[in-house]
Amino acid sequence: MKSGDISYLTKEGIKNTVANRLMTIASVGVLVACMVVIGLAILISENGDRAIKNLEKENVVMAYMKDYSWAQYGEHDKPLKTGTNGEIDASEYLIHNDEEAQDVCKNIEKIDNVQKVEFISSEDGLKGLTKDMFADQEQYFSSFLNEKHGNPLSCAAKVTMENMEDFDKTLEKIQKIDGIDVIRSQADSAKKIVAIKNAVKIAGAWIVAILMIISLVIVSNTIRITMYNRKLEISIMKAVGATNSFVRLPFIVEGVTIGIISAIISEGLLYVCYRIVSERLVEILGNSIIPYSDVALPLLGIFAGIGIVSGIIGSSIMISKYLRKEGSEFAAI
Amino acid sequence: MIESEINMSESNIENSVTAPEKPVIEFKGVSKRYANGTHALEDVNITINKGEFVFVVGSSGAGKSTFMKLIMREERANTGIIRVNGFNLTKMKRKQVPMLRRTMGIIFQDFRLIPKMSVYDNVAFAMHVVGAPNRRIRKEVINALNAVGLGDKKNSMPNELSGGEQQRVGIARALVNNPDLIIADEPTGNVDPNMSFDIVSMLKSINEMGTTVLMVTHDHELVREFKQRVIMLDSGRIIADNVAGGDEE
Repeated sequence: MKSGDISYLTKEGIKNTVANRLMTIASVGVLVACMVVIGLAILISENGDRAIKNLEKENVVMAYMKDYSWAQYGEHDKPLKTGTNGEIDASEYLIHNDEEAQDVCKNIEKIDNVQKVEFISSEDGLKGLTKDMFADQEQYFSSFLNEKHGNPLSCAAKVTMENMEDFDKTLEKIQKIDGIDVIRSQADSAKKIVAIKNAVKIAGAWIVAILMIISLVIVSNTIRITMYNRKLEISIMKAVGATNSFVRLPFIVEGVTIGIISAIISEGLLYVCYRIVSERLVEILGNSIIPYSDVALPLLGIFAGIGIVSGIIGSSIMISKYLRKEGSEFAAI
Repeated sequence: MIESEINMSESNIENSVTAPEKPVIEFKGVSKRYANGTHALEDVNITINKGEFVFVVGSSGAGKSTFMKLIMREERANTGIIRVNGFNLTKMKRKQVPMLRRTMGIIFQDFRLIPKMSVYDNVAFAMHVVGAPNRRIRKEVINALNAVGLGDKKNSMPNELSGGEQQRVGIARALVNNPDLIIADEPTGNVDPNMSFDIVSMLKSINEMGTTVLMVTHDHELVREFKQRVIMLDSGRIIADNVAGGDEE
Protein backbone atom coordinates (compact mmCIF):
# COMPACT_ATOMS: atom_id res chain seq x y z
CA MET A 1 0.00 0.00 0.00
CA LYS A 2 1.35 3.41 -0.93
CA SER A 3 2.15 6.03 1.71
CA GLY A 4 -0.48 8.30 0.14
CA ASP A 5 -3.11 5.59 0.65
CA ILE A 6 -2.08 5.09 4.25
CA SER A 7 -2.25 8.82 4.93
CA TYR A 8 -5.69 9.06 3.24
CA LEU A 9 -7.06 6.05 5.07
CA THR A 10 -5.64 7.17 8.41
CA LYS A 11 -7.40 10.53 7.99
CA GLU A 12 -10.61 8.68 7.13
CA GLY A 13 -10.27 6.53 10.25
CA ILE A 14 -9.75 9.55 12.50
CA LYS A 15 -12.70 11.32 10.84
CA ASN A 16 -14.84 8.26 11.60
CA THR A 17 -13.79 8.35 15.24
CA VAL A 18 -14.98 11.95 15.53
CA ALA A 19 -18.14 11.42 13.49
CA ASN A 20 -19.08 8.41 15.61
CA ARG A 21 -18.30 10.25 18.83
CA LEU A 22 -20.96 8.80 21.12
CA MET A 23 -19.88 5.24 20.57
CA THR A 24 -16.26 6.37 20.71
CA ILE A 25 -16.87 7.86 24.17
CA ALA A 26 -18.61 4.66 25.33
CA SER A 27 -15.73 2.52 24.07
CA VAL A 28 -13.12 4.81 25.58
CA GLY A 29 -15.00 4.70 28.93
CA VAL A 30 -14.96 0.91 29.07
CA LEU A 31 -11.36 0.68 27.92
CA VAL A 32 -10.29 3.28 30.49
CA ALA A 33 -12.03 1.30 33.26
CA CYS A 34 -10.23 -1.81 32.09
CA MET A 35 -6.86 -0.10 31.90
CA VAL A 36 -7.19 1.61 35.29
CA VAL A 37 -7.96 -1.75 36.93
CA ILE A 38 -4.94 -3.26 35.19
CA GLY A 39 -2.84 -0.28 36.29
CA LEU A 40 -4.02 -0.60 39.89
CA ALA A 41 -3.22 -4.31 39.95
CA ILE A 42 0.26 -3.55 38.62
CA LEU A 43 0.82 -0.74 41.13
CA ILE A 44 -0.34 -2.86 44.07
CA SER A 45 1.84 -5.72 42.93
CA GLU A 46 4.90 -3.51 42.41
CA ASN A 47 4.44 -1.80 45.78
CA GLY A 48 3.99 -5.20 47.40
CA ASP A 49 7.26 -6.38 45.89
CA ARG A 50 9.03 -3.31 47.13
CA ALA A 51 7.57 -3.63 50.64
CA ILE A 52 8.70 -7.26 50.81
CA LYS A 53 12.18 -6.32 49.68
CA ASN A 54 12.31 -3.57 52.31
CA LEU A 55 11.20 -6.00 54.98
CA GLU A 56 13.80 -8.47 53.89
CA LYS A 57 16.44 -5.79 54.18
CA GLU A 58 15.38 -5.24 57.78
CA ASN A 59 16.47 -8.69 58.89
CA VAL A 60 15.80 -7.95 62.52
CA VAL A 61 13.65 -9.89 64.97
CA MET A 62 12.58 -9.04 68.51
CA ALA A 63 12.86 -11.97 70.95
CA TYR A 64 10.75 -11.16 74.02
CA MET A 65 11.65 -12.85 77.25
CA LYS A 66 9.60 -14.54 79.95
CA ASP A 67 10.41 -11.87 82.45
CA TYR A 68 9.00 -10.59 85.67
CA SER A 69 6.98 -7.79 84.11
CA TRP A 70 4.52 -10.27 82.58
CA ALA A 71 3.63 -11.50 86.07
CA GLN A 72 1.63 -8.35 86.60
CA TYR A 73 -0.73 -9.20 83.79
CA GLY A 74 -0.62 -12.98 83.76
CA GLU A 75 -0.27 -15.09 80.70
CA HIS A 76 -3.13 -15.53 78.30
CA ASP A 77 -4.15 -18.95 79.55
CA LYS A 78 -2.90 -18.88 83.12
CA PRO A 79 -4.13 -17.03 86.19
CA LEU A 80 -1.97 -14.36 87.74
CA LYS A 81 0.54 -16.04 90.01
CA THR A 82 0.74 -14.43 93.40
CA GLY A 83 2.25 -15.33 96.75
CA THR A 84 0.32 -15.76 99.97
CA ASN A 85 0.34 -12.03 100.73
CA GLY A 86 -0.90 -11.13 97.30
CA GLU A 87 2.52 -10.15 96.05
CA ILE A 88 3.65 -11.53 92.70
CA ASP A 89 5.52 -14.79 92.83
CA ALA A 90 8.60 -13.98 90.82
CA SER A 91 10.00 -17.50 91.10
CA GLU A 92 7.63 -18.65 88.39
CA TYR A 93 9.46 -16.57 85.82
CA LEU A 94 12.78 -17.36 84.18
CA ILE A 95 14.09 -13.85 83.84
CA HIS A 96 14.13 -11.90 87.04
CA ASN A 97 16.46 -9.06 86.23
CA ASP A 98 18.48 -7.39 83.48
CA GLU A 99 21.57 -9.47 84.19
CA GLU A 100 19.69 -12.68 83.49
CA ALA A 101 18.26 -11.13 80.36
CA GLN A 102 21.77 -10.15 79.21
CA ASP A 103 22.81 -13.79 79.64
CA VAL A 104 20.01 -14.84 77.34
CA CYS A 105 21.30 -12.31 74.82
CA LYS A 106 24.74 -13.86 75.01
CA ASN A 107 23.24 -17.29 74.33
CA ILE A 108 21.50 -15.89 71.29
CA GLU A 109 24.75 -14.39 70.04
CA LYS A 110 26.25 -17.88 69.97
CA ILE A 111 23.79 -19.04 67.35
CA ASP A 112 25.08 -19.23 63.77
CA ASN A 113 23.70 -16.60 61.43
CA VAL A 114 23.19 -14.13 64.29
CA GLN A 115 25.10 -11.01 63.47
CA LYS A 116 24.26 -8.78 66.40
CA VAL A 117 22.14 -8.85 69.55
CA GLU A 118 21.03 -5.72 71.34
CA PHE A 119 19.42 -5.90 74.75
CA ILE A 120 16.28 -3.78 75.17
CA SER A 121 15.16 -3.47 78.78
CA SER A 122 11.47 -3.27 79.52
CA GLU A 123 11.92 0.41 80.51
CA ASP A 124 13.66 1.23 77.23
CA GLY A 125 10.97 -0.72 75.40
CA LEU A 126 8.22 1.34 77.04
CA LYS A 127 10.03 4.58 76.29
CA GLY A 128 10.39 3.60 72.66
CA LEU A 129 6.77 2.54 72.41
CA THR A 130 5.35 5.67 74.00
CA LYS A 131 7.63 7.79 71.81
CA ASP A 132 6.50 6.00 68.64
CA MET A 133 2.79 5.80 69.41
CA PHE A 134 2.03 8.72 71.69
CA ALA A 135 4.70 11.23 70.89
CA ASP A 136 2.65 14.17 72.16
CA GLN A 137 1.24 12.41 75.20
CA GLU A 138 4.25 10.50 76.45
CA GLN A 139 3.94 11.93 79.92
CA TYR A 140 0.28 10.98 80.36
CA PHE A 141 0.73 7.53 78.91
CA SER A 142 3.66 6.69 81.16
CA SER A 143 1.95 7.96 84.26
CA PHE A 144 -1.23 6.05 83.36
CA LEU A 145 0.71 2.81 83.13
CA ASN A 146 2.68 3.45 86.28
CA GLU A 147 -0.44 4.24 88.24
CA LYS A 148 -2.36 1.22 87.06
CA HIS A 149 -0.03 -1.70 86.62
CA GLY A 150 3.46 -0.53 85.90
CA ASN A 151 5.38 -1.46 82.73
CA PRO A 152 3.65 -4.26 80.79
CA LEU A 153 6.53 -4.84 78.38
CA SER A 154 8.98 -7.69 78.62
CA CYS A 155 12.60 -7.10 78.10
CA ALA A 156 13.75 -8.20 74.69
CA ALA A 157 16.70 -9.06 72.50
CA LYS A 158 16.87 -7.25 69.19
CA VAL A 159 18.52 -9.81 66.92
CA THR A 160 20.02 -8.96 63.56
CA MET A 161 20.60 -11.88 61.23
CA GLU A 162 23.33 -12.25 58.67
CA ASN A 163 21.41 -14.16 56.05
CA MET A 164 17.66 -14.11 55.49
CA GLU A 165 17.77 -17.47 53.72
CA ASP A 166 18.31 -19.19 57.09
CA PHE A 167 15.69 -16.99 58.73
CA ASP A 168 13.30 -19.75 59.82
CA LYS A 169 16.04 -22.06 61.12
CA THR A 170 17.61 -19.27 63.14
CA LEU A 171 14.23 -18.37 64.60
CA GLU A 172 13.74 -21.96 65.74
CA LYS A 173 17.11 -21.93 67.46
CA ILE A 174 16.37 -18.65 69.24
CA GLN A 175 12.98 -19.98 70.31
CA LYS A 176 14.60 -23.00 71.97
CA ILE A 177 16.74 -20.88 74.29
CA ASP A 178 15.43 -20.85 77.87
CA GLY A 179 13.82 -17.57 78.79
CA ILE A 180 12.54 -16.70 75.33
CA ASP A 181 8.83 -16.20 75.26
CA VAL A 182 7.75 -14.99 71.84
CA ILE A 183 9.58 -13.81 68.77
CA ARG A 184 8.16 -11.03 66.67
CA SER A 185 9.54 -10.64 63.22
CA GLN A 186 8.42 -8.82 60.11
CA ALA A 187 8.20 -12.19 58.40
CA ASP A 188 4.52 -12.23 59.31
CA SER A 189 4.00 -8.89 57.61
CA ALA A 190 5.95 -10.09 54.61
CA LYS A 191 3.76 -13.20 54.39
CA LYS A 192 0.64 -11.08 54.59
CA ILE A 193 1.91 -8.76 51.86
CA VAL A 194 2.79 -11.76 49.67
CA ALA A 195 -0.70 -13.16 50.24
CA ILE A 196 -2.32 -9.81 49.37
CA LYS A 197 -0.08 -9.46 46.33
CA ASN A 198 -0.96 -12.93 45.11
CA ALA A 199 -4.66 -12.36 45.71
CA VAL A 200 -4.47 -9.09 43.79
CA LYS A 201 -2.63 -10.85 40.98
CA ILE A 202 -5.19 -13.64 40.69
CA ALA A 203 -8.22 -11.39 41.08
CA GLY A 204 -6.59 -8.83 38.81
CA ALA A 205 -5.95 -11.42 36.11
CA TRP A 206 -9.60 -12.48 36.15
CA ILE A 207 -10.92 -8.95 36.22
CA VAL A 208 -8.54 -7.94 33.45
CA ALA A 209 -9.54 -10.95 31.33
CA ILE A 210 -13.23 -10.19 31.77
CA LEU A 211 -12.74 -6.48 31.11
CA MET A 212 -10.64 -7.23 28.05
CA ILE A 213 -13.44 -9.35 26.61
CA ILE A 214 -15.97 -6.62 27.42
CA SER A 215 -13.76 -3.98 25.84
CA LEU A 216 -13.27 -6.10 22.73
CA VAL A 217 -17.03 -6.47 22.42
CA ILE A 218 -17.52 -2.73 22.91
CA VAL A 219 -14.84 -1.79 20.38
CA SER A 220 -16.29 -4.33 17.92
CA ASN A 221 -19.75 -2.87 18.36
CA THR A 222 -18.48 0.66 17.85
CA ILE A 223 -16.80 -0.44 14.66
CA ARG A 224 -19.92 -2.31 13.59
CA ILE A 225 -22.02 0.83 14.00
CA THR A 226 -19.47 2.85 12.01
CA MET A 227 -19.46 0.14 9.40
CA TYR A 228 -23.22 0.16 8.96
CA ASN A 229 -23.14 3.96 8.88
CA ARG A 230 -20.61 3.67 6.09
CA LYS A 231 -22.34 0.85 4.28
CA LEU A 232 -22.82 3.05 1.23
CA GLU A 233 -19.15 4.02 1.11
CA ILE A 234 -18.07 0.41 1.52
CA SER A 235 -20.38 -0.68 -1.32
CA ILE A 236 -18.92 1.99 -3.58
CA MET A 237 -15.39 1.06 -2.56
CA LYS A 238 -16.06 -2.56 -3.43
CA ALA A 239 -17.72 -1.59 -6.71
CA VAL A 240 -14.77 0.45 -7.91
CA GLY A 241 -12.24 -2.21 -6.96
CA ALA A 242 -11.04 -1.50 -3.43
CA THR A 243 -9.22 -4.38 -1.80
CA ASN A 244 -10.38 -5.69 1.55
CA SER A 245 -7.26 -4.17 3.14
CA PHE A 246 -8.22 -0.76 1.82
CA VAL A 247 -11.74 -1.10 3.20
CA ARG A 248 -10.46 -2.47 6.49
CA LEU A 249 -7.76 0.07 7.31
CA PRO A 250 -9.94 3.09 8.32
CA PHE A 251 -11.83 0.86 10.76
CA ILE A 252 -8.63 -0.45 12.24
CA VAL A 253 -7.37 3.14 12.53
CA GLU A 254 -10.61 3.98 14.34
CA GLY A 255 -10.16 1.05 16.74
CA VAL A 256 -6.53 1.97 17.37
CA THR A 257 -7.44 5.66 17.88
CA ILE A 258 -9.97 4.61 20.53
CA GLY A 259 -7.26 2.48 22.16
CA ILE A 260 -4.68 5.27 22.19
CA ILE A 261 -7.14 7.86 23.55
CA SER A 262 -8.08 5.36 26.29
CA ALA A 263 -4.42 4.73 27.12
CA ILE A 264 -3.67 8.45 27.54
CA ILE A 265 -6.78 9.07 29.68
CA SER A 266 -6.04 5.99 31.81
CA GLU A 267 -2.47 7.14 32.39
CA GLY A 268 -3.66 10.59 33.51
CA LEU A 269 -6.45 9.22 35.68
CA LEU A 270 -4.21 6.68 37.36
CA TYR A 271 -1.57 9.35 37.99
CA VAL A 272 -4.09 11.58 39.77
CA CYS A 273 -5.55 8.69 41.83
CA TYR A 274 -2.14 7.28 42.72
CA ARG A 275 -0.85 10.67 43.75
CA ILE A 276 -3.78 11.22 46.10
CA VAL A 277 -3.52 7.71 47.60
CA SER A 278 0.28 7.70 47.83
CA GLU A 279 0.34 11.05 49.64
CA ARG A 280 -1.75 9.45 52.39
CA LEU A 281 0.22 6.20 52.36
CA VAL A 282 3.61 7.92 52.56
CA GLU A 283 2.59 9.18 56.00
CA ILE A 284 1.99 5.58 57.11
CA LEU A 285 4.47 3.56 55.12
CA GLY A 286 7.21 6.12 54.65
CA ASN A 287 9.21 6.16 51.46
CA SER A 288 8.51 2.55 50.52
CA ILE A 289 5.80 3.76 48.08
CA ILE A 290 6.98 3.66 44.48
CA PRO A 291 6.93 7.12 42.89
CA TYR A 292 4.58 7.24 39.88
CA SER A 293 7.37 8.59 37.71
CA ASP A 294 9.14 5.21 38.11
CA VAL A 295 6.23 3.32 36.57
CA ALA A 296 4.67 5.99 34.33
CA LEU A 297 6.39 4.97 31.10
CA PRO A 298 6.02 1.19 31.46
CA LEU A 299 2.36 1.69 32.38
CA LEU A 300 1.79 3.94 29.37
CA GLY A 301 3.42 1.28 27.23
CA ILE A 302 1.17 -1.41 28.67
CA PHE A 303 -1.94 0.76 28.24
CA ALA A 304 -1.00 1.67 24.68
CA GLY A 305 -0.35 -2.00 23.96
CA ILE A 306 -3.72 -3.03 25.36
CA GLY A 307 -5.47 -0.20 23.50
CA ILE A 308 -3.81 -0.92 20.18
CA VAL A 309 -4.26 -4.68 20.41
CA SER A 310 -7.93 -4.45 21.45
CA GLY A 311 -8.50 -1.81 18.75
CA ILE A 312 -6.97 -3.97 16.05
CA ILE A 313 -8.59 -7.21 17.17
CA GLY A 314 -11.99 -5.62 17.89
CA SER A 315 -12.19 -3.86 14.54
CA SER A 316 -10.65 -6.69 12.52
CA ILE A 317 -13.13 -9.25 13.83
CA MET A 318 -16.08 -7.10 12.87
CA ILE A 319 -14.91 -5.79 9.49
CA SER A 320 -13.75 -9.24 8.38
CA LYS A 321 -17.13 -10.69 9.31
CA TYR A 322 -18.86 -7.87 7.46
CA LEU A 323 -16.70 -8.19 4.35
CA ARG A 324 -17.30 -11.94 4.20
CA LYS A 325 -21.06 -11.38 4.15
CA GLU A 326 -22.70 -8.04 3.34
CA GLY A 327 -19.49 -6.37 2.18
CA SER A 328 -19.41 -8.19 -1.12
CA GLU A 329 -23.03 -7.43 -1.98
CA PHE A 330 -22.63 -3.93 -3.31
CA ALA A 331 -25.14 -4.19 -6.12
CA ALA A 332 -28.15 -4.33 -3.83
CA ILE A 333 -27.47 -2.72 -0.48
CA MET B 1 -0.89 -4.49 0.65
CA ILE B 2 -3.24 -3.79 -2.23
CA GLU B 3 -0.65 -4.87 -4.73
CA SER B 4 0.00 -8.11 -2.93
CA GLU B 5 -3.70 -8.86 -2.66
CA ILE B 6 -4.14 -8.30 -6.32
CA ASN B 7 -1.15 -10.41 -7.25
CA MET B 8 -2.88 -11.99 -10.21
CA SER B 9 -1.64 -15.09 -11.89
CA GLU B 10 -1.11 -14.96 -15.63
CA SER B 11 -3.68 -17.71 -16.13
CA ASN B 12 -6.44 -15.38 -15.00
CA ILE B 13 -5.54 -12.62 -17.39
CA GLU B 14 -6.20 -14.47 -20.56
CA ASN B 15 -6.03 -11.39 -22.66
CA SER B 16 -6.06 -7.66 -22.18
CA VAL B 17 -8.89 -5.85 -23.88
CA THR B 18 -7.08 -4.04 -26.59
CA ALA B 19 -8.09 -5.79 -29.79
CA PRO B 20 -11.57 -4.67 -30.95
CA GLU B 21 -12.54 -8.14 -32.13
CA LYS B 22 -11.96 -9.65 -28.71
CA PRO B 23 -15.06 -10.20 -26.60
CA VAL B 24 -15.41 -8.04 -23.51
CA ILE B 25 -18.04 -10.33 -21.99
CA GLU B 26 -18.39 -13.98 -22.80
CA PHE B 27 -20.86 -16.43 -21.24
CA LYS B 28 -20.62 -20.11 -22.22
CA GLY B 29 -23.30 -22.45 -20.90
CA VAL B 30 -23.70 -20.41 -17.73
CA SER B 31 -26.26 -21.45 -15.14
CA LYS B 32 -26.85 -19.97 -11.74
CA ARG B 33 -28.95 -21.56 -9.06
CA TYR B 34 -29.28 -19.98 -5.59
CA ALA B 35 -29.19 -21.90 -2.34
CA ASN B 36 -32.95 -21.51 -1.95
CA GLY B 37 -33.44 -23.46 -5.17
CA THR B 38 -34.20 -20.53 -7.48
CA HIS B 39 -32.90 -21.08 -10.99
CA ALA B 40 -31.82 -17.54 -11.85
CA LEU B 41 -30.03 -18.30 -15.13
CA GLU B 42 -30.17 -21.37 -17.32
CA ASP B 43 -27.58 -22.23 -19.96
CA VAL B 44 -26.80 -18.66 -21.00
CA ASN B 45 -24.49 -18.26 -23.99
CA ILE B 46 -23.62 -14.76 -25.06
CA THR B 47 -20.75 -12.67 -26.35
CA ILE B 48 -20.44 -8.89 -26.12
CA ASN B 49 -17.58 -7.38 -28.05
CA LYS B 50 -15.53 -4.31 -27.36
CA GLY B 51 -17.25 -1.08 -28.33
CA GLU B 52 -20.78 -2.47 -28.25
CA PHE B 53 -23.73 -0.73 -26.58
CA VAL B 54 -26.11 -3.34 -25.22
CA PHE B 55 -29.46 -3.00 -23.51
CA VAL B 56 -30.49 -5.83 -21.19
CA VAL B 57 -34.23 -6.00 -20.75
CA GLY B 58 -36.67 -8.35 -19.07
CA SER B 59 -39.40 -8.41 -16.49
CA SER B 60 -38.74 -8.70 -12.75
CA GLY B 61 -37.27 -12.09 -11.90
CA ALA B 62 -36.09 -12.61 -15.46
CA GLY B 63 -32.47 -12.93 -14.30
CA LYS B 64 -31.15 -9.45 -15.20
CA SER B 65 -29.71 -8.81 -11.74
CA THR B 66 -28.06 -12.21 -11.57
CA PHE B 67 -26.64 -11.64 -15.07
CA MET B 68 -25.07 -8.36 -13.88
CA LYS B 69 -23.89 -9.83 -10.59
CA LEU B 70 -22.11 -12.61 -12.44
CA ILE B 71 -20.34 -10.06 -14.65
CA MET B 72 -19.25 -8.04 -11.61
CA ARG B 73 -18.27 -11.29 -9.86
CA GLU B 74 -20.62 -10.57 -7.00
CA GLU B 75 -21.98 -14.06 -7.57
CA ARG B 76 -20.35 -17.17 -9.01
CA ALA B 77 -21.90 -19.36 -11.70
CA ASN B 78 -22.71 -22.96 -10.83
CA THR B 79 -21.81 -24.15 -14.29
CA GLY B 80 -20.32 -22.66 -17.43
CA ILE B 81 -17.51 -20.25 -18.17
CA ILE B 82 -17.59 -16.46 -17.82
CA ARG B 83 -14.89 -14.19 -19.18
CA VAL B 84 -14.99 -10.43 -18.56
CA ASN B 85 -12.34 -7.98 -19.72
CA GLY B 86 -9.88 -10.82 -20.12
CA PHE B 87 -10.48 -12.32 -16.69
CA ASN B 88 -11.73 -15.86 -16.36
CA LEU B 89 -14.29 -15.41 -13.60
CA THR B 90 -14.77 -19.14 -13.19
CA LYS B 91 -11.19 -19.60 -11.99
CA MET B 92 -10.84 -16.23 -10.33
CA LYS B 93 -9.86 -16.13 -6.67
CA ARG B 94 -11.65 -13.82 -4.29
CA LYS B 95 -8.64 -11.57 -3.74
CA GLN B 96 -8.37 -10.97 -7.50
CA VAL B 97 -11.87 -9.54 -7.75
CA PRO B 98 -10.81 -5.92 -7.06
CA MET B 99 -8.61 -5.92 -10.16
CA LEU B 100 -11.52 -7.09 -12.32
CA ARG B 101 -13.72 -4.34 -10.93
CA ARG B 102 -11.09 -1.73 -11.70
CA THR B 103 -11.63 -2.49 -15.36
CA MET B 104 -15.31 -1.58 -15.16
CA GLY B 105 -17.37 1.41 -14.10
CA ILE B 106 -20.68 0.80 -12.39
CA ILE B 107 -23.64 3.15 -12.49
CA PHE B 108 -26.44 2.52 -10.00
CA GLN B 109 -30.14 3.24 -10.26
CA ASP B 110 -30.10 4.98 -6.85
CA PHE B 111 -26.95 7.02 -7.73
CA ARG B 112 -25.09 5.86 -4.58
CA LEU B 113 -23.55 9.25 -3.90
CA ILE B 114 -22.09 9.81 -0.44
CA PRO B 115 -24.25 12.61 1.03
CA LYS B 116 -21.52 14.15 3.20
CA MET B 117 -19.10 14.48 0.29
CA SER B 118 -19.11 17.17 -2.37
CA VAL B 119 -19.55 16.31 -6.05
CA TYR B 120 -15.79 16.53 -6.52
CA ASP B 121 -15.07 14.29 -3.52
CA ASN B 122 -17.63 11.71 -4.62
CA VAL B 123 -15.83 11.30 -7.92
CA ALA B 124 -12.35 11.55 -6.38
CA PHE B 125 -13.32 8.85 -3.89
CA ALA B 126 -13.37 6.27 -6.69
CA MET B 127 -9.78 7.20 -7.55
CA HIS B 128 -8.55 7.26 -3.95
CA VAL B 129 -9.90 3.74 -3.56
CA VAL B 130 -7.68 2.44 -6.36
CA GLY B 131 -4.67 4.28 -4.99
CA ALA B 132 -4.34 6.96 -7.69
CA PRO B 133 -1.85 9.75 -6.94
CA ASN B 134 -3.34 13.08 -5.84
CA ARG B 135 -2.09 15.01 -8.87
CA ARG B 136 -3.81 12.55 -11.22
CA ILE B 137 -6.95 12.61 -9.12
CA ARG B 138 -7.17 16.43 -9.38
CA LYS B 139 -6.81 16.30 -13.15
CA GLU B 140 -9.02 13.32 -13.93
CA VAL B 141 -11.88 14.31 -11.63
CA ILE B 142 -12.18 17.73 -13.29
CA ASN B 143 -12.05 16.09 -16.72
CA ALA B 144 -14.77 13.60 -15.78
CA LEU B 145 -17.00 16.30 -14.31
CA ASN B 146 -16.53 18.46 -17.42
CA ALA B 147 -17.40 15.43 -19.57
CA VAL B 148 -20.78 15.12 -17.88
CA GLY B 149 -21.34 18.88 -17.84
CA LEU B 150 -20.94 19.38 -14.11
CA GLY B 151 -17.59 21.14 -13.99
CA ASP B 152 -19.22 24.19 -12.41
CA LYS B 153 -20.90 22.14 -9.68
CA LYS B 154 -17.87 20.38 -8.28
CA ASN B 155 -18.28 21.99 -4.88
CA SER B 156 -22.02 21.30 -4.62
CA MET B 157 -23.35 18.68 -2.26
CA PRO B 158 -25.43 15.83 -3.70
CA ASN B 159 -28.64 17.07 -2.04
CA GLU B 160 -28.27 20.35 -3.93
CA LEU B 161 -28.52 18.55 -7.27
CA SER B 162 -31.48 17.25 -9.27
CA GLY B 163 -31.90 13.51 -9.86
CA GLY B 164 -30.50 13.81 -13.35
CA GLU B 165 -27.47 15.76 -12.13
CA GLN B 166 -26.85 13.22 -9.39
CA GLN B 167 -26.87 10.45 -11.96
CA ARG B 168 -24.39 12.42 -14.04
CA VAL B 169 -22.11 12.54 -11.02
CA GLY B 170 -22.55 8.75 -10.86
CA ILE B 171 -21.52 8.55 -14.52
CA ALA B 172 -18.48 10.75 -13.87
CA ARG B 173 -17.49 8.45 -11.00
CA ALA B 174 -17.87 5.39 -13.23
CA LEU B 175 -15.79 7.08 -15.96
CA VAL B 176 -13.00 8.56 -13.90
CA ASN B 177 -10.87 5.41 -13.76
CA ASN B 178 -11.09 4.99 -17.56
CA PRO B 179 -12.83 1.60 -17.51
CA ASP B 180 -13.11 -0.74 -20.49
CA LEU B 181 -16.68 -1.57 -19.61
CA ILE B 182 -19.52 0.50 -18.15
CA ILE B 183 -22.29 -1.39 -16.40
CA ALA B 184 -25.38 0.74 -15.86
CA ASP B 185 -28.02 -0.84 -13.66
CA GLU B 186 -31.26 0.99 -14.60
CA PRO B 187 -29.54 4.37 -14.61
CA THR B 188 -32.73 6.13 -15.70
CA GLY B 189 -34.95 4.46 -13.10
CA ASN B 190 -34.98 7.49 -10.79
CA VAL B 191 -34.99 10.36 -13.27
CA ASP B 192 -37.66 11.99 -15.44
CA PRO B 193 -38.07 10.96 -19.12
CA ASN B 194 -36.27 13.98 -20.58
CA MET B 195 -33.33 13.48 -18.30
CA SER B 196 -33.41 9.75 -19.09
CA PHE B 197 -32.82 10.58 -22.72
CA ASP B 198 -29.89 12.85 -21.80
CA ILE B 199 -28.32 10.18 -19.64
CA VAL B 200 -28.51 7.49 -22.29
CA SER B 201 -27.18 10.00 -24.84
CA MET B 202 -24.26 10.62 -22.53
CA LEU B 203 -23.62 6.88 -22.21
CA LYS B 204 -23.85 6.59 -25.99
CA SER B 205 -21.22 9.34 -26.36
CA ILE B 206 -18.95 7.46 -23.96
CA ASN B 207 -19.58 4.30 -25.99
CA GLU B 208 -18.64 6.07 -29.20
CA MET B 209 -15.24 6.77 -27.68
CA GLY B 210 -14.66 3.00 -27.47
CA THR B 211 -16.00 2.00 -24.07
CA THR B 212 -18.35 -0.98 -24.01
CA VAL B 213 -21.66 -0.13 -22.30
CA LEU B 214 -24.06 -2.66 -20.82
CA MET B 215 -27.29 -1.09 -19.61
CA VAL B 216 -30.13 -2.78 -17.79
CA THR B 217 -33.43 -0.98 -18.31
CA HIS B 218 -37.18 -1.30 -18.12
CA ASP B 219 -37.69 1.72 -20.33
CA HIS B 220 -38.77 0.34 -23.69
CA GLU B 221 -39.09 3.85 -25.11
CA LEU B 222 -35.37 4.42 -24.66
CA VAL B 223 -34.55 1.04 -26.15
CA ARG B 224 -36.63 1.86 -29.22
CA GLU B 225 -35.20 5.37 -29.44
CA PHE B 226 -31.52 4.40 -29.38
CA LYS B 227 -31.71 1.31 -31.60
CA GLN B 228 -28.85 -0.68 -30.06
CA ARG B 229 -28.31 -4.36 -29.42
CA VAL B 230 -30.94 -5.72 -27.03
CA ILE B 231 -30.61 -8.86 -24.92
CA MET B 232 -33.94 -9.99 -23.55
CA LEU B 233 -34.09 -12.33 -20.58
CA ASP B 234 -37.06 -14.30 -19.33
CA SER B 235 -37.08 -16.92 -16.57
CA GLY B 236 -33.28 -17.06 -16.60
CA ARG B 237 -32.97 -17.66 -20.34
CA ILE B 238 -32.07 -15.38 -23.23
CA ILE B 239 -35.19 -15.25 -25.35
CA ALA B 240 -34.02 -12.56 -27.77
CA ASP B 241 -30.71 -11.05 -28.81
CA ASN B 242 -31.23 -8.41 -31.48
CA VAL B 243 -28.32 -6.66 -33.08
CA ALA B 244 -28.06 -2.88 -33.13
CA GLY B 245 -30.74 -1.20 -35.16
CA GLY B 246 -33.08 -4.17 -34.97
CA ASP B 247 -36.50 -4.13 -33.35
CA GLU B 248 -36.68 -4.77 -29.66
CA GLU B 249 -39.02 -7.75 -29.93
